Amino acid sequence: MPGVPLTVLVLVGAGSPAMLLLVLGTASLLNRPLPERWTASLAGGAMLISFAALSLAFVVYGATATDTQLLSYGAWSTSHERGVAIEFLVDRLSLAFAALSAAIAGVVSAFSNRYLHREPGYNRYFVLLAMFVTGILLVALAGNIQVLFVGWEFVGLSSALLVAFFHERPAAVANAFRVLSVYRISDAAMLSAAVLLRNVAGTDSLSLLFGRTAGSAGSVLSGTDATMISVLLIVAVAGKSALLPFSGWLPRAMEGPTPSSAVYYGSLSIHAGCFLLLRSAPLLEQSLAARVLAGALGAATALFAGLTTRVQSDVKSSLAYASLTQVGIIVVEIALGWYGIAFIHLAGHACFRLLQFLSAPNVLHDLHGIEDAIGDRPSSRGGIFERVTSARVRRRLFLFALERGFVDSVLDRLVVEPFTGMARRLTRLDAWLCEVVLPHRRPMTVAVDDRDE
Amino acid sequence: MSDAWLWLAGTALAPAVVIIAALFAVDVERLRRLAVIAAASMLLATFVIAATPDFRRIAWTVSSLSWGGSEAIIRVDTLSAAFLPFAAGLWLLTVAVTPRASLDRGGVLRTALATLITLASFLTESAVVLLLLSVASVWTFMAALQDSAHGYQRRIAGIYLGGSTLLFAIGVVLMAGPAAPRTGTAGLWCIVIAALIRKGIVPFHAWVPEVFDHGRLGPAILFSAPQLGAYMTVVLIVPRASPEALRLIAILALGTAVYGAALALVQTSARRACGYLFMSQSALVMAGLDGRSESALAGGLLVWLSAGLAFAGLARCVLVLEARRGRLDLRTFHGGYERMPLLAITFLGMGLACTGFPGTLGFVGQELLVDGAVDEFPVMGFAIVVASALTGLAVLRMYFSLFCGRASPPAAPGLRFGLTRRETWTFVALVIALVGFGLAPRPLVDSRFAAAAEILRFREGSVGR
Repeated sequence: MPGVPLTVLVLVGAGSPAMLLLVLGTASLLNRPLPERWTASLAGGAMLISFAALSLAFVVYGATATDTQLLSYGAWSTSHERGVAIEFLVDRLSLAFAALSAAIAGVVSAFSNRYLHREPGYNRYFVLLAMFVTGILLVALAGNIQVLFVGWEFVGLSSALLVAFFHERPAAVANAFRVLSVYRISDAAMLSAAVLLRNVAGTDSLSLLFGRTAGSAGSVLSGTDATMISVLLIVAVAGKSALLPFSGWLPRAMEGPTPSSAVYYGSLSIHAGCFLLLRSAPLLEQSLAARVLAGALGAATALFAGLTTRVQSDVKSSLAYASLTQVGIIVVEIALGWYGIAFIHLAGHACFRLLQFLSAPNVLHDLHGIEDAIGDRPSSRGGIFERVTSARVRRRLFLFALERGFVDSVLDRLVVEPFTGMARRLTRLDAWLCEVVLPHRRPMTVAVDDRDE
Repeated sequence: MSDAWLWLAGTALAPAVVIIAALFAVDVERLRRLAVIAAASMLLATFVIAATPDFRRIAWTVSSLSWGGSEAIIRVDTLSAAFLPFAAGLWLLTVAVTPRASLDRGGVLRTALATLITLASFLTESAVVLLLLSVASVWTFMAALQDSAHGYQRRIAGIYLGGSTLLFAIGVVLMAGPAAPRTGTAGLWCIVIAALIRKGIVPFHAWVPEVFDHGRLGPAILFSAPQLGAYMTVVLIVPRASPEALRLIAILALGTAVYGAALALVQTSARRACGYLFMSQSALVMAGLDGRSESALAGGLLVWLSAGLAFAGLARCVLVLEARRGRLDLRTFHGGYERMPLLAITFLGMGLACTGFPGTLGFVGQELLVDGAVDEFPVMGFAIVVASALTGLAVLRMYFSLFCGRASPPAAPGLRFGLTRRETWTFVALVIALVGFGLAPRPLVDSRFAAAAEILRFREGSVGR
């Protein structure tokens, strides 16, 4: 076993979901979607292979290596020096998270096979799930900024398209667009961090940011550069992990199927940002300001989500905000430098919340059973919160939580409305520019002409 | 070497045959089938030319038509070889997927003529020949707007594009005339402005949304997608302009990229959104071409191909949908994914290629563009990041609006909404090409780097920088 090369194991582990994506995607593109049984078998097999390979890689790495290793699979896009190379950075953290992701993906895949049986979008779901798993493994194992960005984009797009899974519902589609908007901000921040890193450090290798070796961030990046890159990474993380002020998208994302909500917003996608922060710990240690920012965002998010989860009227939104509370705490732990605790918290929370999401429909059924048995709702006694706060304060907090912190309306007022207003004014300006050059009579009668060539 | 000329002649013969047939044929469907076969043959021939190293060294020069006595009238080199299949692909896309009711005999003739002009443009380095071809291409485009319904758009296009061509002519005269050493700079700036108008760069862009929205979308796509303004830039401007001029053009282009993407996001008309998307993508190409680094130039050349094909496919999807639903309002959800899943998937694929999504050809080009832009202008380089984010949002918004939601029941029970076989194969083939080259980009990317290196070498020789 120790003789099996690490490079092969990591490649198989990361490549297995990618091959699944290729097969299922090609079948869909050729309008020949595979039968459900085949899709389920392929998906299950791919996740199993991925988990086995990555677990084995973790064991092999533990037995044979102590330092972070950069595995290079060669230049991909060009033989020129400026191009995208496929590189994976492996250490205990990346392999552990990757193996955990593969395991969770396998569980969700098996659950989804039954949950979505005979659902019209069955194949579409598994294509998007394969895209997600490919993306999260690339994020976990990325050795350079381009690979990280590829994974980040895969996770974001698959998430938005799964929110719009039930696409005949306008509300689901509108919410998916909202989710995507925040993700694009996150992507832009990630890409900007990549651009800045390349510009100041002359490299896009993540061993510079993530590696704890002699050649790492401390010796190349100045304090200002480290702060700027860290802040951009924190913005990217805030978008992806629904930290304040981007928390508004989280309840909207509950429109998708329960298994996708479980894997994205219960376990993996929402923790991807925390994982990235963990990986960037050497960089964060360079910048006190960035750590303070991360800690403040984490703490504020934990408080906000802890309040908001108590007033949700549906179980998935309640669980989503409960997840967010823990994510906020994890970010605080990272900002305080408690990396080991943060990772254990992350892994345990991901598994626990996955279980809660997947069993949420059963919980409702069980609660109904209990109510039927006792003839009434289970009584709830006031906890510490009710004892230390007055009714007036609780009422105000209740309204604040009910409005989900007014986050959406603030963002709409400060960002969306000015942007769309300006863009519409510019559109009218363009029409006016034509009028200036050549006025025409209004109203303009347009004869219908079907020819388009 | 004579083999190369034979292949080239065969390539030009394909649209010529269709033009001649269109002058005499009566049956439009047969004419379309001939056009599809001719376009497919042209695509095959141009691939052979592009893939054969020996074919990329042919040139025919006439000194009286050259500025410096060395520009070839017809040549195939590393730069132009990749554009030949690009032109053929655009033609095939046009004749294969344009709805039957939208394509008449005149339309088939115009598309073949436009393709022949585009092919000839990509084969020449001569400013004089390029000017004549520019006149021909504008005339062909205006001919598509001859009907009374598009009189205003025809006049607007005439003013802007006619003005562009006039400036181009003045520039050629000033640069090649007897007073050239003194008037050369003014002449070059005339050509620069001509290219900016043609490309729809702010502030010369107003014709683009007007023509796309209220004009004929099909001819607008075929006129815009090859981006002959970019070709003018790379052949005439980049080798001769000062670094300051190139920087100014690049800044305008980057601003236009953000402007176009931002406005595409708020449009209510799918056609107008396509117009702004085109502006944004073509501006990115311009920004790359005016960069002084090899990676920016290679990125610009690559985005030219990927965005050109992807945008053309995307806009053709809009035309196919309009043929079935009428004008498309992006404020509502039109539904219909279940009726046309393949169109939805291919629309999404082409849209993602436009935005540079990983796994598509656009990703590699945008990476190189970002890399090169940051080397040149660290602040403006972030404009590409913003433009990319906004373009992605605009494309997904279009996708959600056009394919999601609850579809209204068909007006007549037997009405078919699905794609025809011809449309299916064409769109699928295009997406496979965009994703295939995205997953295995090395040959194409290496060729663009080689072309970029040649351009920079020529520039160093002529400008000394």
